[in-house]
Amino acid sequence: MIVARLRVWSYYVLLWVVSIVFVSPVLWIALSAFKTRNDILAMPPKFIFRPTLENFAHLFARDELWRQVANSVVLSLTAVIIAIVVSFLAAFCFSRFKPKGTDFLMFLLLSIRMLPGPAVILPVYLMYAGFGWKDNHFWLIMFYAMFSIPFSVWILKGFIDGVSVRFDETGLVNGGSWLHVIFKVVLPQVKPGLIAAFIFNLIFVWNEFLFNFIIGGVSTQNIPYALAVGTYADGGVAWPFIACLTTIYIIPPVVFIYAFQKYLLVGMTFGTVRGEV
Amino acid sequence: MSSMHAGSIGRKPGIAGMFDYRTRLTISLLAPVLLFFIVFNTIPTLWLLGLSFYNYSLTSGMPPEFIGFRNFVQIFNNRNGIWFDLSRTFLFVGLGVTIQTSLGLLLGFLFWGSKAMPGRRVALTMLFTPMVLTPVATGTFFRFIYDPDFGILNWILHGVFGLQPIAFLTNPATAYWSVLAVDCWMWTPFMTLMTLAALGSVPKAELEAIEVDRIPWHKRLTLVVWHHGKFILMLGVLLRTIDSFKTLDLIIPMTKGGPGQATRLVAMELNKQAFESFNIGWSSAYSVLLLLVSIAMTSVFIYILNLRRRRA
Repeated sequence: MIVARLRVWSYYVLLWVVSIVFVSPVLWIALSAFKTRNDILAMPPKFIFRPTLENFAHLFARDELWRQVANSVVLSLTAVIIAIVVSFLAAFCFSRFKPKGTDFLMFLLLSIRMLPGPAVILPVYLMYAGFGWKDNHFWLIMFYAMFSIPFSVWILKGFIDGVSVRFDETGLVNGGSWLHVIFKVVLPQVKPGLIAAFIFNLIFVWNEFLFNFIIGGVSTQNIPYALAVGTYADGGVAWPFIACLTTIYIIPPVVFIYAFQKYLLVGMTFGTVRGEV
Repeated sequence: MSSMHAGSIGRKPGIAGMFDYRTRLTISLLAPVLLFFIVFNTIPTLWLLGLSFYNYSLTSGMPPEFIGFRNFVQIFNNRNGIWFDLSRTFLFVGLGVTIQTSLGLLLGFLFWGSKAMPGRRVALTMLFTPMVLTPVATGTFFRFIYDPDFGILNWILHGVFGLQPIAFLTNPATAYWSVLAVDCWMWTPFMTLMTLAALGSVPKAELEAIEVDRIPWHKRLTLVVWHHGKFILMLGVLLRTIDSFKTLDLIIPMTKGGPGQATRLVAMELNKQAFESFNIGWSSAYSVLLLLVSIAMTSVFIYILNLRRRRA
């Protein structure tokens, strides 16, 4: 009995140690955000130090930072909301009316997400450069919305398929219109799907760098852009800047996966796998 | 009243008048998505297809010149060393997915067996953190951790094994493996998640039955667990394969494909040819080939998905 308990507890300890190992690089960076530049570069590394908020003060004093933060928030929220509204309608259509070519369209949608980023953005770049649409919030949002649609349609179709057709029939027989069925009967029942699609598209656009870099510009740059291009200052790598910005920037995704852990699976698999962990 | 008859969905398409309404509804529900796709995907893709037959560079200032299949021929003849990139990428994908799947399976089984573990949710959140981080940020802070002068990894290695500082990312011999290690750090949690999902898809009744019947554990695995869980696991491996084939964001801040070409994967080279050298014609041809690869991978994904649906 004791041996069995001991074994179980050794597993627990092992799993905790593994989890801590996996999160430790992130903790190390978060810790560095509170160090002075000299402490960050100190050898041997300092685990005990006098925490300072100076780096954050420097960071927040940068004018372009607030614009980049605002861009990150605005781009991801608007693009994802547009994508979800549009995708919900299409997913309903695919699930209920099954127009000719549904399978083919679903296939095409998914294949876009399977393509390496530069191959997706190259033709769009040529089009945007040709029409002068680069460095424009509206067109960047439209592109992000387009890129979030496949994922949302896949997730939402899975959820709408799970709502029995009997609900539609009951609604229609009782005198409701199709619009009533769509928004009052089906929509409330796929709320988990909407949440999952929302969160995972949001994390995707939030983390996105390449598209912003290629078809965005000075006025639309987001934080990943800032991290990738603004890492050098004063003749060296600006580690305090990177540590601070990274720490702040990764808080939302981490909070999301803690709060919405049960959607993680659906979100990471295009809605093709359901269940809890 | 008219909407009442439409109640039996897809069963009475012949009723006069109904059909038009349904068609109109179908079209208007699909229209926004189709519009998005035609404008931002179909037209650009056709454009890309067309350009792949041209010799076109944005830097030369010359007008596009039609050259037929010469771009594709050049690719097959190893221009810009793309066969090396491809083999590097396949090694990256193969090793990465294998390591992540094995570790993920191990951790998944352990977490599955530890339902009563104190703080399980917090531990899982910590474990799942790497995969939702901004890849650019991840790449940047791993450059910090790997640094030969003040990186903590070298300090740990020196302390534990007495090793001399290693320039992980700037030494051609270690750069590739260092990037691969970060990829594994980032995506092993995903395979753990998929393992947990696969195990969760095994019906409880069958698990109880094999428990009661005292069947030896290897038979439990092959007869029951693998039987139910294999599809989700296969989907996981496939998603990981596709994603790892696209790796780019992570490498840009760490090595930019260097030193030399040590970490130049397919997506890195395309990115460089298209947006640094502006070889648009050649890059278009390359993109078309990658499009075919991604269509093939998507087909396999959907095939496995349908296998699972048919069984369920």
